[in-house]
Amino acid sequence: MQIKVVMAKLGLDIHWRGALVVSRMLRDEGMEVVYLGNQFPEQIVEAAIQEGADVIGLSTLGGNHLTLGPKVVKLAREKGVDALVIMGGVIPEDDIPLLKEAGIAEVFGPETKVESIATFIREHVGKTIG
Amino acid sequence: MTKTNVNQGAKLFNQEVVREIEAQKERWKKETVKGKTGDGEYFSDSGIPVNLLYTPDDIKELNYMKDIGLSGEAPYVRGVYPNMYRGRLFTVRQIAGYGTPEDTNDRFKFLLKNGATGTSVVLDLPTIRGYDSDDPEAEGHVGAAGVAIDSLEDIEALYDGIPIDEISSNIVTHLPSTTVVIMAMFAAMAEKKGIPFEKLSGTNQNDFLMETAIGSSLEVLPPKASFRLQCDAIEFASKNLPRWNPVSYNGYNLREAGTDAVAEVACALANAIATSEELIRRGNKIDDFAKRLSFFWNLYNDFFEEIAKCRASRVVYQEIMKERFKAEEMKSQLMRFHVQTAGITLTKVEPLNNIARSAIQGLAAVLGGAQSLHVDSYDEAYSAPTEESALISIRTQQIIQTETNVVNTVDPLAGSYFVEYLTKEMAQRIRDYISEIESRGGLVACVDSGWLHREIADFAYQTQKDIENGTRKIVGLNYFPSEEHAGQKVEVFRYPETAEAKQKEKLKRLRQKRDAKKVEEKLNVIREMCHKDVNLMPYIKDAVLEYATLGEIEEVFREEFGLWQFPLA
Repeated sequence: MQIKVVMAKLGLDIHWRGALVVSRMLRDEGMEVVYLGNQFPEQIVEAAIQEGADVIGLSTLGGNHLTLGPKVVKLAREKGVDALVIMGGVIPEDDIPLLKEAGIAEVFGPETKVESIATFIREHVGKTIG
Repeated sequence: MTKTNVNQGAKLFNQEVVREIEAQKERWKKETVKGKTGDGEYFSDSGIPVNLLYTPDDIKELNYMKDIGLSGEAPYVRGVYPNMYRGRLFTVRQIAGYGTPEDTNDRFKFLLKNGATGTSVVLDLPTIRGYDSDDPEAEGHVGAAGVAIDSLEDIEALYDGIPIDEISSNIVTHLPSTTVVIMAMFAAMAEKKGIPFEKLSGTNQNDFLMETAIGSSLEVLPPKASFRLQCDAIEFASKNLPRWNPVSYNGYNLREAGTDAVAEVACALANAIATSEELIRRGNKIDDFAKRLSFFWNLYNDFFEEIAKCRASRVVYQEIMKERFKAEEMKSQLMRFHVQTAGITLTKVEPLNNIARSAIQGLAAVLGGAQSLHVDSYDEAYSAPTEESALISIRTQQIIQTETNVVNTVDPLAGSYFVEYLTKEMAQRIRDYISEIESRGGLVACVDSGWLHREIADFAYQTQKDIENGTRKIVGLNYFPSEEHAGQKVEVFRYPETAEAKQKEKLKRLRQKRDAKKVEEKLNVIREMCHKDVNLMPYIKDAVLEYATLGEIEEVFREEFGLWQFPLA
């Protein structure tokens, strides 16, 4: 089964380079990636439902990770979406435990190899506890 | 003798000597080098082939006075001012911006006290993207990554106690739609304080590429509308704010998003061309506005290429202004630029190494003749700079200014066979890229069609692949990575979390005390003028004086100009 990913820039964050490059490289890894552009949590979850996504990728460098990131997980679970939610961007180390507690499966900082994101996805997809 | 007496045929080197060097070089290759040239081919960051050794024959076509000249004279290769840094040192300009305007005002005062010579402010994302702090879209972003500005009150608080008539104010407004509002607020503030417009000096970034190609967002104005607002701000400033730079063509962020040094400069110049054509169409003369156009470059680690880029960009600009637009005044032909060191080259692993990277890039900026400089802080990959890391950036600039002596003489690398060769080569590649853009209908059309987005995305993708497969080496990351040193502890900067509540409270009070009817009237005038071939700036200024908010004005733009689908997938 091909893994399906929806990738979004979280909220107003404008830096699209990372999200787009990761999207393309996950396609190279054989996944289907729908790049949503900038979206707020409601629309991201809506898109994940419509696309039947296995993974929701959130990208942010704008400092909104703690407010908007957990909201995506919460909304998704409320709507019965068990997709793996992962995040990338410039995120302080100290915030990572908080994000994981809120249900973000993993946080990928600058310099992460896309290959290792793909490996993480393969190992964890479908194993999310709702 | 005048400059016009330059002998157009006079070459820098005696051609007989050049032929002798060429012959000797052939011999040298066979007898001395004998294949000891190392493995493979060498290239600069933007793909220019680099030889083992440069000699006069590599620049044999150069005519010194015509192609290089003297400082403060065309073609400005050697710098835009005759005395360069002896006359005035480059401005130490460190960006600040977080929380409420009051918070950022405190940081301004800290930086000025420690030797910054101008202010530079970055705005939060809701402000940049045209939403008030109490807008649902703003949630989670207020005062993060920049300062929140909602109304004229906030601009007044931001510059409280800052001598805006004495030092220059750089405002990183990024988008034209934000620029027109913030510039109107700045002018309105001066008007209220009784400071004549002639005394205001500063810069707005104001680049439609930021709105429609470099940064993405939820709701984006069409390129044509954004370009129109960009031109409105430039035209207004050229008529009313004689010392204001109403645009800083943003090669910087384009490069951060994903281009090489050639495309960085070429896109910015193509934008200057488009602007000039539009303002001339509106009945302005090139010499009325060209002297206030300014540029913003990004300097990577390829030291000589970046210096050559700075020098080459001045030549190509001078050519465009003089030959294409027939600018007569000297000031209309000289390119002034700000440099920020390259955030994207800074690593998260072993972050203190970034101090070395930024210092090298900053030195290149000064050797390239920059007018002002921001040195990125070592904690770039972690957060916005802390007070401590921002201070190291200022110190880096001060070390370059005072301890290295590089500022004592003009353009010290001139005459290096390699640097002159690279300058010539960069200039030609910049011209070619501009021709490519023009063959596709000009820069606005290249954005509209998504061509530029694809160029950026392809470059970013390739770069990441090169890093992952090790062709592009980054110290500490894929070259001599050291596990024990990778995780140096870095103190991160925390945005004040109280900004959102404070800004919302201020807006609530503002909306109660202002004259709602007048605000509505002024907004309706803007609405009507959006559809006419007029400059919107005076109408926007009228509205901000009645305390119409930034979000309200930009909502008018969104309704009247419509929204555009950002062409990325």
